[in-house]
Amino acid sequence: MSVNAPTSPAIRAVQQFAQGLVPSAQKAYVALMMDLIARALVSASTIDGELKDEVAGYPAGFVIQMVVMPNGSGFYLQVQQDKSLVRLDSYAGKPDLAVKFKHLTHAFLVFSFQESTAQAFANDRMIADGEVNYAIRLVRCLNKLEALILPKLVADLAVKRYPSNLSLVEKLNKGSQIYLKVVANYAGSLPELLSLLSTLKTTSGLKKTNTGARHD
Amino acid sequence: MTKSYYEFFSPVKVVAGHMALEHIPFELAALGAKRPMIITDKGVRTNNLLEPVEAAFIDAESKIIAIFDDVPPDSSLQTVRAAAKLYRDNQCDAIIAVGGGSVIDTSKGVNILVSEGGDDLLKYSGAHNLKRPLKPFFVVPTTAGTGSEVTLVAVISDTEKSVKIPFTSYYLMPNAAILDPRMTQTLPPHITAMTAMDAMTHAVEAYTCMAHNPISDAYATAAIKKISQNLLHVLENPKDLDARLELAQASTMAGIAFSNSMVGLVHSIGHAAGAVAHIPHGMAMSLFMPYVLEYNQDVNGERIGELLLYLAGADVYAKTPSNERAAKAISTIRNLRDTLYERTKLPRTLQETGKVTREQFDEIAAKALDDGSIIFNPKEASLADIKALLEKAWA
Repeated sequence: MSVNAPTSPAIRAVQQFAQGLVPSAQKAYVALMMDLIARALVSASTIDGELKDEVAGYPAGFVIQMVVMPNGSGFYLQVQQDKSLVRLDSYAGKPDLAVKFKHLTHAFLVFSFQESTAQAFANDRMIADGEVNYAIRLVRCLNKLEALILPKLVADLAVKRYPSNLSLVEKLNKGSQIYLKVVANYAGSLPELLSLLSTLKTTSGLKKTNTGARHD
Repeated sequence: MTKSYYEFFSPVKVVAGHMALEHIPFELAALGAKRPMIITDKGVRTNNLLEPVEAAFIDAESKIIAIFDDVPPDSSLQTVRAAAKLYRDNQCDAIIAVGGGSVIDTSKGVNILVSEGGDDLLKYSGAHNLKRPLKPFFVVPTTAGTGSEVTLVAVISDTEKSVKIPFTSYYLMPNAAILDPRMTQTLPPHITAMTAMDAMTHAVEAYTCMAHNPISDAYATAAIKKISQNLLHVLENPKDLDARLELAQASTMAGIAFSNSMVGLVHSIGHAAGAVAHIPHGMAMSLFMPYVLEYNQDVNGERIGELLLYLAGADVYAKTPSNERAAKAISTIRNLRDTLYERTKLPRTLQETGKVTREQFDEIAAKALDDGSIIFNPKEASLADIKALLEKAWA
């Protein structure tokens, strides 16, 4: 998709709704999305050949962090000896690659698909600490994942160019497999999921706007 | 279209013009420095380019205390440590880099060590790992192309591990860039052409890639205009100091532009071709620029078309229908390359370089796909796209 392509009215409505969320709801949404993306990346790297090859390009033991600065939501992924990915709950050392959003709102822009990952880099919303080629590889992984799991209308907003060789059949097939694996993964850590969802539920209010109404 | 968000930062003082070198002692004194060390390379020394710099210090309060002239074409950790030792042994208090990209990057590395202490440069590698200002640091470019005198980046090789280590920090930016046309007047024609096309590419990509913004646009377009109007004139009249100054300023302006807007696919492929086939950077920029612009044209043709005004002038721009301006801008760049080939043999195709084989395309494409600048290209480029571009650029 063109970087300046117009968005559909439905997408714009969703974006306006997203912009209206209070910061605490944004925080919960970003935390949920970060968690979901991490799990989906782990799953997708076993299902999609292209993603598998991308992950294989990282050295074994390589640790990737994505985080909201300074100590907000985030995730750690580690490349294993067999080049599979695992999620880490925490990591004591310095990750080999850290992609850091400068602010919660910037992460929200990306995860609510108002700004593509590439545009977020171009807009200085985040910094990559580590070898740049590995950061670019991660962006390619995220792009492919988003193309697989998001409806095309939404994926068009998240990536610069929707992959022309991705057929609907392949998308549905692989997308459903990824979702099933993620659900199965969550089932194994149900308390964690319930905690994330309850945070989102209790904070999902919209910003109070000044309607100009008088209170005589 | 309004730019939804951008950042622009350019704190480097530009000291530009005839007799600019003679301003260095005053600028040093203003920062409280009196014992500068010069960092340079053998080529600069052999060509007597240090003479006017040293002459600028006659009767000045500050004195050049040491000269390190052993910078190799690719800066290394060992070189940085050796230069830092010389600085410390002589109790210097400022650095003056006199040279091109490698000298400037080395000097940035040296400034980290002599300011922060120790010999472990790797501790400060990566993004924004310096937390305070460094020693006074001036840059005197001897080519008009890299723009390194105004950037916040240094790339230094770890020769033991065969990797290039990037350093990015606002504190790496020099206090001043000294643009004196005496420093570039002896540049041979092919180097003049190659470095000017490097600057041209910085400006063109700064303007046409994803992180462009209104302020960097102003620098980029002004740089393109200066190069378009002066490059061929300088090749005809290499001793014309006014025209040399125009090119030097254009290079710095293009540096300011791309330092804030970044670059795109021309650089991704150029970096990769440099790493795999040792194609000099400026040559690669000149070579790949029209092919990449053609590739990007369906996504950002309008912005490419706007460049026609600065590349060819108002008359040509006005006479060209708006839907033909992008193609005309690209053909103007092609014509410039043809002229440069006639006058300096600056290659226009990969075959003309004599440095690359088609068997190397896979490796070049794979490296280009991983290059940091690719993310700022307006059009997503796949491995197959890059290979196709290399084929087009072959002959």
